[in-house]
Amino acid sequence: MVIQENGPITEIKRLGAEIFSVWIAAARISQKIKPGQFIGVKVSEREDLLLRRPFSVADVNGDKIRIVFRVVGPGTERLARSKNGDNWDIIGPLGKPAPLVRNRNVVICGGGVGVAPLLYLTRVLHKANQVVVLLGARCTPELIMVSDFRRVGVKVQLTTEDGSQGVKGLVTEALAPVLSEMRAPVVYACGPKGMIEALCPLSEKVKVWAFLEERMGCGTGVCYGCAVPKKAGGYLRLCKDGPVVSLDEVVL
Amino acid sequence: MKFEVLIRDVKFPNPVLAASGTFGFGLEFLTVANRLGGVVTKGLTVKPRAGNPPPRIVETPSGVVNSVGLENPGVAMFKTDILPRLQRLKCPVLVNLAAGSLDEFCELTEILEETPVAGLELNLSCPNVKEGGVAFGQKPQRVAEVTRAVRKRTDKLLVVKLTANFVDPAETAKAAEAAGADAVSLINTLFALVLDQNGRPFLGGRTGGLSGPAIKPFALFCVERVVKAVKIPVIGMGGIRTGQDAFEFISAGAHLVQVGTANLTRPDGAVEVMKGLRRLARIRGWQNWDDVRGKAGEGCFG
Repeated sequence: MVIQENGPITEIKRLGAEIFSVWIAAARISQKIKPGQFIGVKVSEREDLLLRRPFSVADVNGDKIRIVFRVVGPGTERLARSKNGDNWDIIGPLGKPAPLVRNRNVVICGGGVGVAPLLYLTRVLHKANQVVVLLGARCTPELIMVSDFRRVGVKVQLTTEDGSQGVKGLVTEALAPVLSEMRAPVVYACGPKGMIEALCPLSEKVKVWAFLEERMGCGTGVCYGCAVPKKAGGYLRLCKDGPVVSLDEVVL
Repeated sequence: MKFEVLIRDVKFPNPVLAASGTFGFGLEFLTVANRLGGVVTKGLTVKPRAGNPPPRIVETPSGVVNSVGLENPGVAMFKTDILPRLQRLKCPVLVNLAAGSLDEFCELTEILEETPVAGLELNLSCPNVKEGGVAFGQKPQRVAEVTRAVRKRTDKLLVVKLTANFVDPAETAKAAEAAGADAVSLINTLFALVLDQNGRPFLGGRTGGLSGPAIKPFALFCVERVVKAVKIPVIGMGGIRTGQDAFEFISAGAHLVQVGTANLTRPDGAVEVMKGLRRLARIRGWQNWDDVRGKAGEGCFG
Protein backbone atom coordinates (compact mmCIF):
# COMPACT_ATOMS: atom_id res chain seq x y z
CA MET A 1 0.00 0.00 0.00
CA VAL A 2 1.57 3.25 -1.14
CA ILE A 3 0.90 6.23 1.14
CA GLN A 4 0.96 9.85 -0.02
CA GLU A 5 1.78 12.56 2.52
CA ASN A 6 2.61 16.24 2.52
CA GLY A 7 5.44 16.33 5.01
CA PRO A 8 7.02 19.47 6.44
CA ILE A 9 10.80 19.63 6.59
CA THR A 10 11.94 19.74 10.18
CA GLU A 11 15.65 20.05 9.45
CA ILE A 12 17.75 20.67 6.37
CA LYS A 13 21.51 20.62 6.72
CA ARG A 14 24.43 20.76 4.32
CA LEU A 15 26.79 17.84 4.93
CA GLY A 16 29.24 18.58 2.14
CA ALA A 17 29.71 20.88 -0.83
CA GLU A 18 26.69 19.48 -2.67
CA ILE A 19 25.37 16.98 -0.13
CA PHE A 20 22.27 17.64 1.96
CA SER A 21 20.55 15.89 4.86
CA VAL A 22 16.82 16.43 5.27
CA TRP A 23 14.43 15.29 8.00
CA ILE A 24 10.77 15.24 6.94
CA ALA A 25 7.81 14.71 9.24
CA ALA A 26 5.80 11.94 7.61
CA ALA A 27 4.02 10.03 10.34
CA ARG A 28 2.20 7.49 8.20
CA ILE A 29 5.11 6.52 5.97
CA SER A 30 7.68 6.52 8.79
CA GLN A 31 5.65 3.90 10.67
CA LYS A 32 5.82 1.49 7.75
CA ILE A 33 9.12 2.14 5.99
CA LYS A 34 11.87 -0.42 6.44
CA PRO A 35 15.61 -0.37 5.66
CA GLY A 36 16.17 -0.64 1.93
CA GLN A 37 12.91 0.97 0.96
CA PHE A 38 12.62 4.43 -0.57
CA ILE A 39 10.31 7.37 -1.00
CA GLY A 40 9.31 9.35 -4.09
CA VAL A 41 9.46 13.12 -3.72
CA LYS A 42 7.51 15.47 -5.98
CA VAL A 43 9.94 18.24 -6.68
CA SER A 44 7.54 20.84 -7.93
CA GLU A 45 3.90 21.46 -8.74
CA ARG A 46 5.07 23.08 -11.93
CA GLU A 47 5.09 20.97 -15.06
CA ASP A 48 8.73 21.34 -16.00
CA LEU A 49 9.84 18.70 -13.50
CA LEU A 50 7.29 15.93 -13.79
CA LEU A 51 8.62 12.80 -12.19
CA ARG A 52 9.14 12.15 -8.52
CA ARG A 53 12.72 11.72 -7.40
CA PRO A 54 13.48 8.48 -5.57
CA PHE A 55 15.44 8.70 -2.29
CA SER A 56 16.43 5.80 -0.07
CA VAL A 57 15.59 6.27 3.55
CA ALA A 58 18.73 7.10 5.52
CA ASP A 59 17.10 6.92 8.92
CA VAL A 60 13.81 6.99 10.78
CA ASN A 61 13.11 8.63 14.12
CA GLY A 62 9.54 8.49 15.37
CA ASP A 63 7.37 10.22 12.81
CA LYS A 64 10.33 11.59 10.87
CA ILE A 65 12.25 10.25 7.89
CA ARG A 66 15.74 11.31 6.95
CA ILE A 67 17.12 11.38 3.45
CA VAL A 68 20.60 12.36 2.32
CA PHE A 69 21.28 13.33 -1.26
CA ARG A 70 23.79 14.91 -3.58
CA VAL A 71 22.71 17.69 -5.96
CA VAL A 72 22.97 16.12 -9.40
CA GLY A 73 20.39 17.98 -11.49
CA PRO A 74 17.56 20.51 -11.50
CA GLY A 75 15.33 18.32 -9.28
CA THR A 76 17.77 17.82 -6.45
CA GLU A 77 18.90 21.43 -6.86
CA ARG A 78 15.36 22.61 -6.23
CA LEU A 79 14.98 20.30 -3.23
CA ALA A 80 18.27 21.57 -1.81
CA ARG A 81 16.82 25.09 -1.78
CA SER A 82 14.07 23.98 0.66
CA LYS A 83 13.74 25.53 4.10
CA ASN A 84 12.45 24.29 7.42
CA GLY A 85 8.67 24.13 7.29
CA ASP A 86 8.46 23.67 3.51
CA ASN A 87 6.12 20.83 2.62
CA TRP A 88 7.26 18.02 0.40
CA ASP A 89 4.75 15.80 -1.37
CA ILE A 90 6.08 12.29 -0.83
CA ILE A 91 4.90 8.74 -1.51
CA GLY A 92 6.14 5.60 0.15
CA PRO A 93 7.15 3.11 1.31
CA LEU A 94 8.38 2.08 -2.14
CA GLY A 95 10.39 -1.00 -3.07
CA LYS A 96 11.12 -4.12 -1.10
CA PRO A 97 12.78 -3.98 2.32
CA ALA A 98 16.38 -5.21 2.38
CA PRO A 99 16.60 -8.88 3.39
CA LEU A 100 17.75 -9.04 7.01
CA VAL A 101 20.02 -11.71 8.51
CA ARG A 102 20.40 -12.82 12.13
CA ASN A 103 23.42 -14.04 14.10
CA ARG A 104 25.84 -13.42 11.26
CA ASN A 105 29.00 -11.48 10.58
CA VAL A 106 27.86 -8.47 8.59
CA VAL A 107 29.98 -5.97 6.69
CA ILE A 108 28.35 -2.71 5.66
CA CYS A 109 30.24 -1.14 2.77
CA GLY A 110 29.36 2.35 1.63
CA GLY A 111 30.93 4.75 -0.83
CA GLY A 112 30.32 8.48 -1.23
CA VAL A 113 26.73 9.57 -0.72
CA GLY A 114 25.81 5.88 -1.04
CA VAL A 115 26.50 5.46 2.66
CA ALA A 116 23.14 7.15 3.36
CA PRO A 117 20.68 4.20 3.19
CA LEU A 118 23.14 2.02 5.08
CA LEU A 119 22.66 3.92 8.34
CA TYR A 120 19.07 2.80 8.96
CA LEU A 121 20.05 -0.69 7.83
CA THR A 122 23.03 -0.75 10.19
CA ARG A 123 20.83 0.33 13.09
CA VAL A 124 18.48 -2.60 12.45
CA LEU A 125 21.14 -5.21 11.66
CA HIS A 126 23.21 -4.24 14.70
CA LYS A 127 20.48 -5.62 16.99
CA ALA A 128 20.98 -9.21 15.83
CA ASN A 129 24.43 -9.43 14.21
CA GLN A 130 28.14 -8.64 14.51
CA VAL A 131 28.43 -5.57 12.31
CA VAL A 132 31.49 -3.83 10.89
CA VAL A 133 31.01 -0.67 8.84
CA LEU A 134 33.40 0.47 6.08
CA LEU A 135 32.85 4.00 4.80
CA GLY A 136 34.74 5.43 1.87
CA ALA A 137 34.94 8.66 -0.07
CA ARG A 138 37.26 10.53 -2.39
CA CYS A 139 38.37 12.97 0.29
CA THR A 140 37.55 14.03 3.86
CA PRO A 141 34.87 16.64 2.97
CA GLU A 142 32.95 13.90 1.14
CA LEU A 143 33.19 11.41 3.99
CA ILE A 144 29.72 11.87 5.45
CA MET A 145 27.64 10.57 8.35
CA VAL A 146 30.64 9.04 10.15
CA SER A 147 29.47 10.17 13.58
CA ASP A 148 25.95 8.86 12.84
CA PHE A 149 27.35 5.39 12.23
CA ARG A 150 29.61 5.58 15.29
CA ARG A 151 26.63 6.49 17.46
CA VAL A 152 24.99 3.19 16.50
CA GLY A 153 27.76 1.48 18.46
CA VAL A 154 29.37 -0.48 15.63
CA LYS A 155 33.00 -0.65 14.58
CA VAL A 156 33.58 1.92 11.81
CA GLN A 157 36.58 1.91 9.45
CA LEU A 158 37.26 4.77 7.08
CA THR A 159 38.97 5.00 3.70
CA THR A 160 39.67 7.97 1.46
CA GLU A 161 41.08 7.89 -2.03
CA ASP A 162 43.42 10.79 -1.28
CA GLY A 163 44.46 9.38 2.09
CA SER A 164 43.27 12.48 3.95
CA GLN A 165 41.47 10.28 6.48
CA GLY A 166 41.51 6.61 7.40
CA VAL A 167 43.20 4.14 5.07
CA LYS A 168 44.25 5.48 1.68
CA GLY A 169 42.49 3.74 -1.21
CA LEU A 170 39.11 2.47 -2.24
CA VAL A 171 36.57 1.17 0.22
CA THR A 172 36.32 -2.04 -1.80
CA GLU A 173 40.06 -2.62 -1.29
CA ALA A 174 39.57 -2.37 2.47
CA LEU A 175 36.88 -5.04 2.30
CA ALA A 176 39.08 -8.09 1.58
CA PRO A 177 41.15 -8.03 4.80
CA VAL A 178 38.00 -7.51 6.89
CA LEU A 179 36.23 -10.43 5.25
CA SER A 180 39.24 -12.73 5.59
CA GLU A 181 38.89 -12.59 9.37
CA MET A 182 35.19 -13.51 9.34
CA ARG A 183 33.24 -16.74 9.18
CA ALA A 184 30.35 -16.78 6.68
CA PRO A 185 30.10 -13.03 6.25
CA VAL A 186 27.28 -11.16 4.53
CA VAL A 187 27.95 -7.85 2.77
CA TYR A 188 25.50 -4.97 2.27
CA ALA A 189 26.79 -2.35 -0.16
CA CYS A 190 25.75 0.97 -1.58
CA GLY A 191 27.77 3.42 -3.60
CA PRO A 192 28.69 4.60 -7.08
CA LYS A 193 28.29 2.22 -9.99
CA GLY A 194 32.03 1.56 -10.25
CA MET A 195 32.17 0.52 -6.62
CA ILE A 196 29.27 -1.90 -7.00
CA GLU A 197 30.83 -3.33 -10.18
CA ALA A 198 34.05 -3.91 -8.26
CA LEU A 199 32.10 -6.10 -5.82
CA CYS A 200 30.75 -8.40 -8.55
CA PRO A 201 33.64 -10.94 -8.40
CA LEU A 202 33.23 -11.08 -4.60
CA SER A 203 29.53 -11.87 -4.96
CA GLU A 204 30.44 -15.26 -6.42
CA LYS A 205 31.92 -16.29 -3.08
CA VAL A 206 30.12 -14.16 -0.50
CA LYS A 207 26.50 -13.04 -0.29
CA VAL A 208 26.44 -9.39 -1.36
CA TRP A 209 23.24 -7.38 -1.14
CA ALA A 210 23.64 -4.18 -3.14
CA PHE A 211 21.54 -1.06 -3.44
CA LEU A 212 21.29 -0.40 -7.18
CA GLU A 213 20.33 2.74 -9.07
CA GLU A 214 18.60 3.14 -12.40
CA ARG A 215 16.54 5.92 -13.98
CA MET A 216 13.09 5.56 -12.51
CA GLY A 217 9.66 6.57 -13.80
CA CYS A 218 6.81 5.72 -11.47
CA GLY A 219 8.64 4.13 -8.51
CA THR A 220 5.66 1.82 -8.07
CA GLY A 221 6.19 -0.91 -10.68
CA VAL A 222 3.70 0.14 -13.32
CA CYS A 223 5.88 1.73 -16.01
CA TYR A 224 8.73 -0.82 -16.29
CA GLY A 225 11.20 2.04 -16.67
CA CYS A 226 13.89 1.06 -14.14
CA ALA A 227 15.02 -2.20 -15.69
CA VAL A 228 18.16 -4.03 -14.56
CA PRO A 229 19.26 -7.13 -16.55
CA LYS A 230 19.09 -10.45 -14.71
CA LYS A 231 21.72 -13.16 -15.18
CA ALA A 232 18.88 -15.62 -15.75
CA GLY A 233 17.53 -13.47 -18.61
CA GLY A 234 15.00 -10.69 -18.74
CA TYR A 235 14.95 -7.72 -16.40
CA LEU A 236 13.93 -6.92 -12.89
CA ARG A 237 12.14 -3.71 -12.01
CA LEU A 238 14.35 -1.94 -9.53
CA CYS A 239 11.47 -0.04 -7.93
CA LYS A 240 9.44 -3.18 -7.29
CA ASP A 241 11.96 -6.05 -7.14
CA GLY A 242 14.68 -3.86 -5.54
CA PRO A 243 16.33 -1.50 -4.95
CA VAL A 244 18.34 -3.97 -2.83
CA VAL A 245 19.28 -6.98 -4.95
CA SER A 246 21.53 -9.99 -4.59
CA LEU A 247 24.53 -9.00 -6.68
CA ASP A 248 25.02 -12.49 -8.11
CA GLU A 249 21.60 -12.34 -9.79
CA VAL A 250 22.13 -9.26 -11.96
CA VAL A 251 24.34 -8.15 -14.84
CA LEU A 252 25.96 -4.75 -14.34
CA MET B 1 -24.75 14.83 -13.82
CA LYS B 2 -24.37 11.28 -15.11
CA PHE B 3 -20.74 10.55 -15.76
CA GLU B 4 -21.19 7.31 -17.68
CA VAL B 5 -20.11 7.04 -21.28
CA LEU B 6 -21.44 4.30 -23.50
CA ILE B 7 -19.41 3.17 -26.48
CA ARG B 8 -21.23 0.45 -28.37
CA ASP B 9 -22.22 -2.00 -25.61
CA VAL B 10 -19.49 -1.08 -23.12
CA LYS B 11 -20.49 1.19 -20.28
CA PHE B 12 -17.62 3.27 -18.88
CA PRO B 13 -18.59 4.59 -15.42
CA ASN B 14 -16.81 7.85 -16.21
CA PRO B 15 -14.75 9.17 -19.13
CA VAL B 16 -11.28 8.88 -17.56
CA LEU B 17 -9.21 5.78 -18.31
CA ALA B 18 -5.66 4.82 -17.36
CA ALA B 19 -3.51 4.62 -20.49
CA SER B 20 -1.58 1.57 -21.55
CA GLY B 21 1.97 1.29 -20.26
CA THR B 22 1.45 3.63 -17.36
CA PHE B 23 -0.71 1.52 -15.06
CA GLY B 24 0.71 -2.01 -15.39
CA PHE B 25 -2.13 -4.50 -15.76
CA GLY B 26 -4.38 -2.49 -13.47
CA LEU B 27 -3.72 -4.71 -10.46
CA GLU B 28 -1.11 -2.69 -8.58
CA PHE B 29 -3.59 -0.05 -7.44
CA LEU B 30 -6.99 -1.71 -7.27
CA THR B 31 -8.69 1.01 -5.27
CA VAL B 32 -7.54 3.58 -7.82
CA ALA B 33 -8.56 1.39 -10.76
CA ASN B 34 -12.02 0.86 -9.36
CA ARG B 35 -12.68 4.60 -9.41
CA LEU B 36 -11.75 4.98 -13.06
CA GLY B 37 -13.82 4.81 -16.21
CA GLY B 38 -11.59 1.98 -17.37
CA VAL B 39 -8.12 0.56 -17.54
CA VAL B 40 -6.08 -0.10 -20.66
CA THR B 41 -3.51 -2.76 -19.85
CA LYS B 42 0.15 -2.78 -20.73
CA GLY B 43 0.87 -3.78 -24.33
CA LEU B 44 0.54 -7.54 -24.73
CA THR B 45 2.34 -9.70 -27.28
CA VAL B 46 1.96 -13.38 -28.18
CA LYS B 47 5.34 -14.36 -26.74
CA PRO B 48 6.89 -12.81 -23.63
CA ARG B 49 9.04 -9.79 -24.40
CA ALA B 50 12.04 -8.75 -22.32
CA GLY B 51 11.86 -5.15 -23.52
CA ASN B 52 14.67 -2.73 -24.30
CA PRO B 53 17.96 -2.36 -22.41
CA PRO B 54 18.24 0.38 -19.77
CA PRO B 55 18.15 3.28 -19.32
CA ARG B 56 14.54 3.17 -20.39
CA ILE B 57 13.16 6.43 -19.11
CA VAL B 58 14.32 10.01 -18.81
CA GLU B 59 12.65 13.27 -17.90
CA THR B 60 12.74 16.22 -20.30
CA PRO B 61 11.18 19.67 -19.80
CA SER B 62 7.48 19.04 -19.12
CA GLY B 63 7.79 15.58 -20.60
CA VAL B 64 9.05 12.05 -20.24
CA VAL B 65 10.81 9.99 -22.90
CA ASN B 66 10.54 6.24 -22.54
CA SER B 67 11.98 3.31 -24.37
CA VAL B 68 10.50 0.40 -22.43
CA GLY B 69 9.98 -1.67 -25.57
CA LEU B 70 6.78 -3.49 -24.62
CA GLU B 71 8.16 -5.67 -21.84
CA ASN B 72 5.33 -8.07 -20.98
CA PRO B 73 4.83 -11.70 -19.92
CA GLY B 74 3.08 -12.83 -23.13
CA VAL B 75 -0.52 -13.81 -23.70
CA ALA B 76 -0.33 -17.32 -22.17
CA MET B 77 0.86 -15.97 -18.81
CA PHE B 78 -1.66 -13.14 -19.12
CA LYS B 79 -4.48 -15.67 -19.43
CA THR B 80 -3.40 -17.94 -16.59
CA ASP B 81 -1.93 -15.48 -14.13
CA ILE B 82 -3.28 -11.98 -14.76
CA LEU B 83 -6.72 -12.42 -16.25
CA PRO B 84 -8.27 -14.20 -13.22
CA ARG B 85 -7.15 -11.31 -11.04
CA LEU B 86 -8.53 -8.73 -13.47
CA GLN B 87 -12.02 -9.87 -12.46
CA ARG B 88 -11.44 -7.84 -9.28
CA LEU B 89 -11.69 -4.66 -11.33
CA LYS B 90 -15.12 -3.06 -11.43
CA CYS B 91 -14.40 -0.94 -14.48
CA PRO B 92 -14.09 -2.16 -18.08
CA VAL B 93 -10.67 -3.47 -19.08
CA LEU B 94 -9.30 -2.93 -22.56
CA VAL B 95 -6.30 -5.05 -23.48
CA ASN B 96 -3.69 -3.23 -25.53
CA LEU B 97 -2.46 -5.60 -28.25
CA ALA B 98 1.00 -5.22 -29.72
CA ALA B 99 2.33 -7.38 -32.51
CA GLY B 100 5.01 -7.56 -35.15
CA SER B 101 2.79 -9.03 -37.86
CA LEU B 102 -0.79 -9.29 -39.01
CA ASP B 103 -0.84 -12.97 -38.03
CA GLU B 104 0.22 -12.13 -34.48
CA PHE B 105 -2.56 -9.57 -34.13
CA CYS B 106 -5.04 -12.19 -35.31
CA GLU B 107 -3.63 -14.83 -32.95
CA LEU B 108 -3.85 -12.50 -29.95
CA THR B 109 -7.40 -11.57 -30.85
CA GLU B 110 -8.50 -15.18 -31.16
CA ILE B 111 -6.92 -16.10 -27.82
CA LEU B 112 -8.63 -13.20 -26.06
CA GLU B 113 -12.00 -13.51 -27.75
CA GLU B 114 -13.40 -15.97 -25.20
CA THR B 115 -12.10 -14.01 -22.21
CA PRO B 116 -14.18 -11.53 -20.21
CA VAL B 117 -12.18 -8.42 -21.13
CA ALA B 118 -14.41 -5.62 -22.40
CA GLY B 119 -12.40 -4.67 -25.44
CA LEU B 120 -9.17 -4.57 -27.38
CA GLU B 121 -6.98 -1.62 -28.21
CA LEU B 122 -4.80 -2.30 -31.26
CA ASN B 123 -1.46 -0.68 -30.70
CA LEU B 124 -0.50 0.48 -34.18
CA SER B 125 1.58 3.29 -32.80
CA CYS B 126 4.31 2.15 -30.40
CA PRO B 127 7.51 3.99 -31.36
CA ASN B 128 9.77 1.75 -29.28
CA VAL B 129 9.82 -1.53 -31.19
CA LYS B 130 11.54 -2.40 -34.44
CA GLU B 131 8.68 -4.43 -35.91
CA GLY B 132 4.99 -3.60 -35.88
CA GLY B 133 3.91 -0.68 -33.76
CA VAL B 134 4.26 2.64 -35.47
CA ALA B 135 5.31 0.94 -38.73
CA PHE B 136 1.73 -0.33 -39.06
CA GLY B 137 0.17 2.92 -38.01
CA GLN B 138 1.82 5.19 -40.54
CA LYS B 139 0.04 3.81 -43.61
CA PRO B 140 -3.75 4.04 -43.85
CA GLN B 141 -3.77 0.88 -45.98
CA ARG B 142 -1.91 -1.12 -43.29
CA VAL B 143 -4.18 0.28 -40.57
CA ALA B 144 -7.21 -0.85 -42.56
CA GLU B 145 -5.72 -4.26 -43.23
CA VAL B 146 -4.96 -5.01 -39.57
CA THR B 147 -8.24 -3.56 -38.33
CA ARG B 148 -10.27 -5.57 -40.85
CA ALA B 149 -8.49 -8.82 -39.98
CA VAL B 150 -8.99 -8.30 -36.26
CA ARG B 151 -12.59 -7.15 -36.70
CA LYS B 152 -13.39 -10.47 -38.38
CA ARG B 153 -12.18 -12.29 -35.28
CA THR B 154 -13.80 -10.31 -32.50
CA ASP B 155 -17.15 -9.02 -31.35
CA LYS B 156 -15.52 -7.10 -28.55
CA LEU B 157 -15.19 -3.34 -28.51
CA LEU B 158 -12.36 -2.64 -30.95
CA VAL B 159 -10.29 0.51 -30.48
CA VAL B 160 -7.41 1.37 -32.81
CA LYS B 161 -4.63 3.38 -31.21
CA LEU B 162 -3.17 5.77 -33.76
CA THR B 163 0.13 7.50 -34.10
CA ALA B 164 0.75 11.12 -35.00
CA ASN B 165 4.36 10.44 -35.98
CA PHE B 166 4.91 11.61 -39.57
CA VAL B 167 1.33 10.88 -40.55
CA ASP B 168 -2.00 12.67 -40.67
CA PRO B 169 -4.04 10.77 -38.07
CA ALA B 170 -7.25 11.88 -39.77
CA GLU B 171 -6.29 9.64 -42.71
CA THR B 172 -5.43 6.60 -40.60
CA ALA B 173 -8.53 7.17 -38.45
CA LYS B 174 -10.72 7.09 -41.56
CA ALA B 175 -9.03 3.86 -42.61
CA ALA B 176 -9.66 2.31 -39.20
CA GLU B 177 -13.30 3.42 -39.26
CA ALA B 178 -13.89 2.01 -42.73
CA ALA B 179 -12.33 -1.31 -41.65
CA GLY B 180 -14.71 -1.72 -38.73
CA ALA B 181 -13.10 -0.08 -35.69
CA ASP B 182 -15.57 0.95 -32.98
CA ALA B 183 -13.35 3.83 -31.85
CA VAL B 184 -9.89 5.28 -32.30
CA SER B 185 -7.53 6.46 -29.58
CA LEU B 186 -4.74 9.00 -30.01
CA ILE B 187 -2.07 10.15 -29.69
CA ASN B 188 0.60 7.70 -28.68
CA THR B 189 4.01 9.09 -27.74
CA LEU B 190 6.00 11.14 -30.23
CA PHE B 191 9.39 10.11 -31.61
CA ALA B 192 12.12 11.53 -29.42
CA LEU B 193 15.88 11.49 -29.06
CA VAL B 194 17.69 12.47 -25.87
CA LEU B 195 21.46 12.90 -25.90
CA ASP B 196 23.77 12.90 -22.91
CA GLN B 197 26.45 15.50 -22.16
CA ASN B 198 28.83 13.71 -24.55
CA GLY B 199 26.33 13.72 -27.38
CA ARG B 200 25.56 10.01 -27.09
CA PRO B 201 21.98 8.66 -27.08
CA PHE B 202 20.85 8.52 -23.47
CA LEU B 203 18.32 5.71 -23.76
CA GLY B 204 19.29 2.05 -24.12
CA GLY B 205 16.87 1.77 -27.03
CA ARG B 206 18.55 4.83 -28.58
CA THR B 207 15.30 6.65 -29.38
CA GLY B 208 12.07 6.75 -27.42
CA GLY B 209 8.60 8.19 -27.17
CA LEU B 210 7.82 11.60 -25.69
CA SER B 211 4.75 11.98 -23.45
CA GLY B 212 3.48 14.39 -20.81
CA PRO B 213 2.25 17.99 -20.80
CA ALA B 214 4.85 18.89 -23.45
CA ILE B 215 2.77 17.12 -26.12
CA LYS B 216 -0.71 18.24 -25.01
CA PRO B 217 -1.32 21.08 -27.48
CA PHE B 218 -0.31 18.86 -30.41
CA ALA B 219 -2.41 15.96 -29.10
CA LEU B 220 -5.40 18.25 -28.75
CA PHE B 221 -4.94 19.46 -32.31
CA CYS B 222 -4.80 15.88 -33.58
CA VAL B 223 -7.88 14.83 -31.60
CA GLU B 224 -9.95 17.70 -32.94
CA ARG B 225 -8.76 16.96 -36.47
CA VAL B 226 -9.71 13.27 -36.17
CA VAL B 227 -13.08 14.04 -34.54
CA LYS B 228 -13.97 16.06 -37.63
CA ALA B 229 -12.84 13.27 -39.96
CA VAL B 230 -14.71 10.26 -38.52
CA LYS B 231 -18.08 9.40 -37.02
CA ILE B 232 -16.85 6.79 -34.53
CA PRO B 233 -15.94 7.89 -31.00
CA VAL B 234 -12.47 9.25 -30.37
CA ILE B 235 -10.48 8.59 -27.21
CA GLY B 236 -8.10 11.45 -26.55
CA MET B 237 -4.79 11.38 -24.75
CA GLY B 238 -1.52 13.24 -24.53
CA GLY B 239 -0.36 15.15 -21.47
CA ILE B 240 -3.63 15.09 -19.52
CA ARG B 241 -2.97 15.71 -15.83
CA THR B 242 -5.89 17.86 -14.62
CA GLY B 243 -9.66 18.00 -14.98
CA GLN B 244 -9.21 21.09 -17.12
CA ASP B 245 -6.96 19.13 -19.51
CA ALA B 246 -9.58 16.37 -19.77
CA PHE B 247 -12.30 18.95 -20.35
CA GLU B 248 -10.31 20.41 -23.23
CA PHE B 249 -10.04 17.03 -24.95
CA ILE B 250 -13.76 16.38 -24.46
CA SER B 251 -14.68 19.80 -25.77
CA ALA B 252 -12.46 19.01 -28.78
CA GLY B 253 -14.81 16.08 -29.33
CA ALA B 254 -13.32 13.14 -27.41
CA HIS B 255 -15.77 10.68 -25.83
CA LEU B 256 -13.20 9.33 -23.40
CA VAL B 257 -9.75 10.38 -22.31
CA GLN B 258 -6.75 8.36 -21.19
CA VAL B 259 -4.29 9.52 -18.57
CA GLY B 260 -0.72 8.28 -18.97
CA THR B 261 2.33 10.11 -17.69
CA ALA B 262 0.38 11.65 -14.79
CA ASN B 263 0.05 8.10 -13.39
CA LEU B 264 3.82 8.02 -13.02
CA THR B 265 3.82 11.16 -10.91
CA ARG B 266 1.18 9.81 -8.56
CA PRO B 267 -0.60 6.44 -8.59
CA ASP B 268 -4.00 8.13 -8.34
CA GLY B 269 -3.19 10.63 -11.11
CA ALA B 270 -6.14 9.53 -13.26
CA VAL B 271 -8.52 9.73 -10.28
CA GLU B 272 -7.34 13.29 -9.70
CA VAL B 273 -8.20 14.08 -13.32
CA MET B 274 -11.69 12.65 -12.81
CA LYS B 275 -12.16 14.59 -9.59
CA GLY B 276 -11.20 17.78 -11.41
CA LEU B 277 -13.65 16.99 -14.18
CA ARG B 278 -16.45 16.41 -11.65
CA ARG B 279 -15.65 19.73 -10.03
CA LEU B 280 -15.85 21.49 -13.39
CA ALA B 281 -19.15 19.75 -14.18
CA ARG B 282 -20.61 20.93 -10.89
CA ILE B 283 -19.37 24.50 -11.23
CA ARG B 284 -20.44 24.86 -14.85
CA GLY B 285 -23.73 23.03 -14.47
CA TRP B 286 -23.29 20.45 -17.20
CA GLN B 287 -26.23 18.04 -17.43
CA ASN B 288 -24.53 15.50 -19.68
CA TRP B 289 -21.46 15.16 -21.85
CA ASP B 290 -23.33 16.45 -24.90
CA ASP B 291 -23.21 19.86 -23.21
CA VAL B 292 -19.46 19.77 -23.59
CA ARG B 293 -18.36 17.34 -26.26
CA GLY B 294 -17.24 18.89 -29.51
CA LYS B 295 -18.09 22.43 -28.40
CA ALA B 296 -14.55 23.76 -28.63
CA GLY B 297 -14.51 27.17 -30.23
CA GLU B 298 -18.16 27.91 -29.60
CA GLY B 299 -17.33 30.10 -26.65
CA CYS B 300 -20.18 28.64 -24.65
CA PHE B 301 -18.24 28.21 -21.44
CA GLY B 302 -18.04 31.87 -20.61
